[in-house]
Amino acid sequence: MQQLTQILGSFLIVLFSVPAIAQADCDFILSGYVKDAHNDQPLPDSKVHIRELNITVEADANGFYSISGLCVGEYLVFCKHIGCDAIKDTILIDQNITRDFFPEHHVEFNEVKVEADKDEDLSLKPERLTQRELNESRGLTLGEGLAKMNGVNQFTTGNNISKPVIHGMHSNRILILNNGVRQEGQQWGNEHAPEIDPFIAGDLSVVKGANCVRYGPDAIAGVILVNPRELKKTPGVSGELNLVGFSNGRQGNVSATIDGNSSKLPALRWRAQGTLRRGGNVHAPDHILKNTGVYEYNFSGAVGWFKPKYGFDVFYSQFNTEIGIFSASHFGNLTDLQNAYEADRPLELDDFTYEIARPRQEIEHELFKAQGYWITGDRSRLTFTYARQFNRRQEFDKHISPNATEEELNTPALQFNLTTHTGEISWNHNRINNFKGSAGISGLHQGNTYRGRFFIPNFRKMGGGIFWLEQWKPEKSKLAIEAGARFDYIYQRIYMWVDDVIYSPEQHFMNGSGSVGASYKFNKKFIARANIGSAWRPPNVNELYSNGLHHAASAIERGDSTLVTEKALNFTVSFEYKGDRLNFLIDGYYNIIDDFIYLRPTQENVLTIKGAYPLFQTTQADAHLRGTDITIGYDLSDSWNITSKASVLRAWNLSQNDHLILMPADRFENSLEYRFKDSNKLANAYASVTVVSVLKQTRVPENGDFAPPPEGYTLLNASIGMDIPVKNQFITVGLSANNILNVRYRDYMNRFRYFTDEMGTNISLRVKVPFTLIQAKSIHE
Amino acid sequence: MMKMKTQVKIVAVLGLALIAGLSSCKKDEDLVDTPQPTYNEPEVITTMTLTFVDDAGVQPNVTATFRDPDGDGGLGADIFDTIRLQNNTVYSCTITLLNETVTPAEDMTTEVLAEAAEHLFCLSPAGADINIVRTDSDGTYEIGQTSQWTVGAVGNGTTLITLKHQPGGIKDGTCAPGETDIEVNFVTEVQ
Repeated sequence: MQQLTQILGSFLIVLFSVPAIAQADCDFILSGYVKDAHNDQPLPDSKVHIRELNITVEADANGFYSISGLCVGEYLVFCKHIGCDAIKDTILIDQNITRDFFPEHHVEFNEVKVEADKDEDLSLKPERLTQRELNESRGLTLGEGLAKMNGVNQFTTGNNISKPVIHGMHSNRILILNNGVRQEGQQWGNEHAPEIDPFIAGDLSVVKGANCVRYGPDAIAGVILVNPRELKKTPGVSGELNLVGFSNGRQGNVSATIDGNSSKLPALRWRAQGTLRRGGNVHAPDHILKNTGVYEYNFSGAVGWFKPKYGFDVFYSQFNTEIGIFSASHFGNLTDLQNAYEADRPLELDDFTYEIARPRQEIEHELFKAQGYWITGDRSRLTFTYARQFNRRQEFDKHISPNATEEELNTPALQFNLTTHTGEISWNHNRINNFKGSAGISGLHQGNTYRGRFFIPNFRKMGGGIFWLEQWKPEKSKLAIEAGARFDYIYQRIYMWVDDVIYSPEQHFMNGSGSVGASYKFNKKFIARANIGSAWRPPNVNELYSNGLHHAASAIERGDSTLVTEKALNFTVSFEYKGDRLNFLIDGYYNIIDDFIYLRPTQENVLTIKGAYPLFQTTQADAHLRGTDITIGYDLSDSWNITSKASVLRAWNLSQNDHLILMPADRFENSLEYRFKDSNKLANAYASVTVVSVLKQTRVPENGDFAPPPEGYTLLNASIGMDIPVKNQFITVGLSANNILNVRYRDYMNRFRYFTDEMGTNISLRVKVPFTLIQAKSIHE
Repeated sequence: MMKMKTQVKIVAVLGLALIAGLSSCKKDEDLVDTPQPTYNEPEVITTMTLTFVDDAGVQPNVTATFRDPDGDGGLGADIFDTIRLQNNTVYSCTITLLNETVTPAEDMTTEVLAEAAEHLFCLSPAGADINIVRTDSDGTYEIGQTSQWTVGAVGNGTTLITLKHQPGGIKDGTCAPGETDIEVNFVTEVQ
């Protein structure tokens, strides 16, 4: 994070300057050449920057630079060349120093880089959390953090389970790439949140739109990219400690990262990381929510060997969480649900405790990844990736016999074990004759087994895909055009018992998908983009075969084994303007989905011994989802900024001639921000106030729900943050308060909306401390 | 040129290796276990039978049964009797619960009575002229597994039988707290 802060800090954000320490010897010169790491060619237009003095010089046509008038001291020096990673070095100036820099031209290795302008000419530009938003999201779940992005909502089950929603769609319609690997968990379930530690992410971005060609055919709504920072490239051992506390639920988070690179073996880079998170019962404005604690521990490690021509790295991470499910959310039957809905406050209350009782979930997710690259020729790179994921999900029901044995107590009512192997070979090439692109093949092998109560059957799934994506853009052209195609095949076999006979049908799905798009850069400030993409996904196993009472939903849900593939055609346009004072980003989208799979209320009841339950049948319909996300920011002065965001979605079921259920309501956000002037005691300091308004969702299908949607609401949030320089590092401190007025409200996208209010005021304090264990040796002679 | 060919070969070999690696496990059962044929469901109640005995010993015994063969699963009830009682008679009613997903059927009444302090039957007639009082106790509060039904004039209505699970000391003698284990609304005829 420190590295990221510094790079961003030096190149994107207004800099502060430390007054030079008055000393007699202020006449030294730092000079040298900036050359290509591979062929020693000079790199003119490179920039060399001294952080402490806030001086930037450009290298001349020979790649030569020189900075004179330097006092004795240690300086943090950056060298940056377009298309290369910034080089950072601490240089001791006690005489005239000559230092050459060798920036490395990188072919797109990871899809996401620190420099935002890399994605500028893509027709579907990833939107990323800014460093500040990322800081503010520390301690939140992945879904909560991503919801800071306009057009991304959350679908929640209480306060601990949050699923990201892009343009009204979630679960199997969103692809999450965790460290470049498709996340394969139990994402089909409404109360199954992504099994990822957000502290791993050095970069969180979202591609809104059907961006399937590169990542997989099922990215109907979009792709979420969770990327760790790159491993440490400069010698030394350093790290970062994050501490986050929340007042509501008295939740605490500790996360630490240690990065290393040996000066003897510069190719060897490593990282170790771990997170602990514990929270107790949270409270709504006028009561405590029973059994809403969380306990989580996650860790990861990475080792890599990186040479200019080749490199490889292995990564392992484990995510473990135990989540209390709000007690008053489990019902015996529909009458209980009705009573809970009519009650002013939940029927079960409790005091504060950290203890997690039944009902609860325990989830473990492991990811092992091995990746290698090999530079093939001047401008291309081959990348090999293999990953294994293991996901274990255990659900413990609310009730168990009081005479239960120890073994029975530790046996979940429901357990899924999902093991997934994925592999990919991709070939990326940098601009050759105005074209750059990538091609590759990918494969997947997956097995799911369950124990306990039947909800979805065991299954085995195999898939393979082949893709090719090219972008055309001449050097000086304002226009960039891209096109790509992908073909996938998926085989699936189910194993289930029907009347004491094993039933194991096989299914095959195959389909192509593609995208075309263009971006046009009118000038340095204004760029327009358009994209058409197609996507498809086979029906999921739960949609095909689930049959039974969904306790958490108080409904009987029936799958349909005759479902066919869901297909989407997605149109997006966006206009981005970055002026001196005004900036805006306007997205418009139109999603045409054939055979959209959803649960349709049948208006029939199934009479069980617990009373009658409404029957929901999985079915397919043609649907349209269209909407817009607008962000407009304006600098009133150097210090004051106002930003407004609006997100509006309309979703229509063409087959039923009705609205689609569970779509986010219109949302508006207005914030006023004051940025403090940087000084030698404070950098990047800001204070902001945000008003969030969510309207009542009035566009809901008739008779599709137990209760009408909750009223709209308005919340007041505030946040302050700053970087405090301590030696060569910055300690980042932030204080946020959400729902300051302690408003009682319910959100339509929370599955607990029927019977409990959302959280009341929540104040959080965040501290980020970078540290250095082994100082890098500076190169100076 | 030579170099390029070698590269292509290497890529092809690695590609094939990947495909082979991912598809080598031909035998399904190796990777995915066949699910267990039977599973010990947490105690399910499938069947509730009400048995009425005339306290005067004049009228014949009456029974009414509700059976939902998979408990609260996806299937509906297959037996749903009407309660038919004689007018101006006082009956003693006993409720029997069974789990018929197992063979032989398991008596769930004893399970409920074993946790009597956590359970309450609520018996609410509507329309028909019946007065019901519970006749058993867990020591502090009534249970309702046995009850006395005082049947008055001829007429039709319904009787709602509810079994509430009220664990953790929340039982207070009323039907409000807890979670519903059973809810059946019998059509009731007084002849």
